[in-house]
Amino acid sequence: MAVDLSIPVLVVDDYKTMVRIIRNLLKQLGFSDVDDAADGTEALGKMQQRKYGLVISDWNMEPMTGYELLKEVRSDDGLNRTPFIMVTAESKTENVIAAKKAGVSNYIVKPFNAATLKAKIDAVFGD
Amino acid sequence: MAAQKSAANRAASSRPHQQRTLSLIEALTLAESSIETMRKAIDPLNSEIYREFREIAQEIARAKSDIGGLQANDIRTHKIPEAGRELNAVVDATEEATHRIMECAETIMTADPSNPATYHNVINENVMAIFEACSFQDITGQRISRVVDTLEHIDKRVSKFAERIGIEDQDLELAIDDEEQKRGQRKKDLLLHGPQDESTAVSQDEIDKLLNA
Repeated sequence: MAVDLSIPVLVVDDYKTMVRIIRNLLKQLGFSDVDDAADGTEALGKMQQRKYGLVISDWNMEPMTGYELLKEVRSDDGLNRTPFIMVTAESKTENVIAAKKAGVSNYIVKPFNAATLKAKIDAVFGD
Repeated sequence: MAAQKSAANRAASSRPHQQRTLSLIEALTLAESSIETMRKAIDPLNSEIYREFREIAQEIARAKSDIGGLQANDIRTHKIPEAGRELNAVVDATEEATHRIMECAETIMTADPSNPATYHNVINENVMAIFEACSFQDITGQRISRVVDTLEHIDKRVSKFAERIGIEDQDLELAIDDEEQKRGQRKKDLLLHGPQDESTAVSQDEIDKLLNA
């Protein structure tokens, strides 16, 4: 299945520079509708207002982490099918296992490059 | 006690069987004998107490010297705030440079290639600006070296102090306040480890294997 580049993408990161980097990478990959949130709470609020086709979230944020956001999303009947990619510096095995158990769609460890981001997005959408 | 008894016997032997009042001399003799008995009992105790106090005083003097060696005031009022300022300056410099570099990259990305000469100039100018922005590394490197020196200074003094005082790991656990304990528990529950160094971090390939297992 080809990735629909018109889907709204939500980038969640408390570090503005990282949001800007991911936004630019997504733009290069052809995504035109990119929104952002600074933490899990803001992201959850936005997700309840609008249906996003993909969430790309950091793990370590305050007050709600990306891990908590993932669990909230997966326990919400209206949101639980949203593809969710974790992009994080948390690179311990236990984090990956916990994210997998919580239902993450894919996991990218920082620092990463455009090719990795593209490959993981493609994998999520079954390309 | 034996001396006390004999003095009392002597006093008693000099009186008739019926009860009578002790003379002043007899009372003084009895008192003197009692004091002597008590002195013999207390003297060893006194020297024991003196020895204990002397050791406590020596321990206090040693602790004062160790605390002085820690240079806690200097660490608290100078070293740590200075290290904090250096690190903030590093964060600001890297952030500024990153934004400058990204601005250049964004300008290049959106440059109009229809006029080759103008396009060439835009690329050149922005590439030069990227090189200039990268000069932050030299200054931030020096700032970080100073912070490392400060940490080594603190580490040396604190380690020496802990060793002299005999602080164990379990003592440190007792010193953690509620707020710190809550923060630690949150980090543990939410698996907030932060970036790992290369020796402990799992690679993207290993992550992919774990996810596909």
